[in-house]
Amino acid sequence: MNRIVFIGGKGGVGKTTCSSAFAVYCAKMGKKTLLVSTDPAHSISDLFEREIGLEIVNIRENLDAIEIDAEFESKKYIDSIKKNLKNIVSTVIVEEITRQLDAASISPGSHESAMFDKMMEIINEKEDQYDQIIFDTAPTGHTIRLLSLPELLGSWIDSLLMKRRKAVKLSKMANSQNPESVENDPIVKILTRRKNNMEKARNVMIDDKKLRFIFVLNAEKLPIEETKKAVEILKKYNIPVNELIVNRILPEQMQDDFWKNKKALEKKYLDEISEAFTSQKIIKLPLLQNDMRAQYIEKMAEYFKDVY
Amino acid sequence: MPNEKLEKFLEWGRLFFQGATDFGRKSRSMLEKEANDEMDNFILVCFADTLGIPLPISYYTLELLPYLAQDLEMWEKRMLNRKSIWGEKWGDYDLDA
Repeated sequence: MNRIVFIGGKGGVGKTTCSSAFAVYCAKMGKKTLLVSTDPAHSISDLFEREIGLEIVNIRENLDAIEIDAEFESKKYIDSIKKNLKNIVSTVIVEEITRQLDAASISPGSHESAMFDKMMEIINEKEDQYDQIIFDTAPTGHTIRLLSLPELLGSWIDSLLMKRRKAVKLSKMANSQNPESVENDPIVKILTRRKNNMEKARNVMIDDKKLRFIFVLNAEKLPIEETKKAVEILKKYNIPVNELIVNRILPEQMQDDFWKNKKALEKKYLDEISEAFTSQKIIKLPLLQNDMRAQYIEKMAEYFKDVY
Repeated sequence: MPNEKLEKFLEWGRLFFQGATDFGRKSRSMLEKEANDEMDNFILVCFADTLGIPLPISYYTLELLPYLAQDLEMWEKRMLNRKSIWGEKWGDYDLDA
């Protein structure tokens, strides 16, 4: 059974609803489940009608949840560097560097990196504690970039390590010190730690026994096209997409002409979905009359029964 | 076989005397220079964004800042001063030799 599930899809198709329902289902089956929201809007608090914070909290039996806040994480990271700074360098430089750090914290990409860091931390540290970790991810583009990051960053860190090792070794040789003690260099230590973390996370991500993707879509043109693309791209990273959730299916008995047309159109798209995605299981979730709220999640969770 | 060993021994001996009699400490300065060059490259790859080159990894190299802070300022000045860079590179060629 896969430990880590990413739930992705186009914006607005109901990823949060589906991941919450899936999490509730897993918890009811007796698996210890962690639901992780990476969406900056953080709607799982609203959905479960209770406060879910930056730390892991228990929601119900077997089900824990956490909302990752990229801004908070990057601030935490920068603050820890600032603290570290005071112990190492002179006060004159601290001023200068602090300014640079503040500039970096608002530069593009830093939130993304912070988010990625936290996700890696959860994967690395919590993997053994939970039977199932469910990530409610941001819309498609982000998710795929997230998967390519370890590869990109891994090679960067490799080359950084190589350079640093060489520099330290040479300067040690020049000062007649033992060139073998390179590994004690603080920078080499930091980089090695990062490299190990990244490798661990990457190993989980490329292991198709551990990681699985579920895509959520609606029976509409644009989500179908986007899902096709996403499935293709994931195939390149050797990540199979085994399940699709088609959310918001209209009820059968439609009286109104407008809704009858809608239903016919939906049928056409549903056929297109089952034609285009032959190797995936398709889970169909109905459109609800009410807003998605805590009391309906149980009902939604029932629909996952056919698959697991 | 013994021939090869002898050759190796002689080569080591030559290197030993070369090193032992290197009073000008040319080898050390060469090592230092090489180390500095390598260090400059390292900082460049870590903090190129301070020179205006976007860097995908800049967020992760921030935690190296405390250890590199001292060097960073000088490095930035040197990198931005084209004259000093050319002068430095010109110095690589030992024109007196």
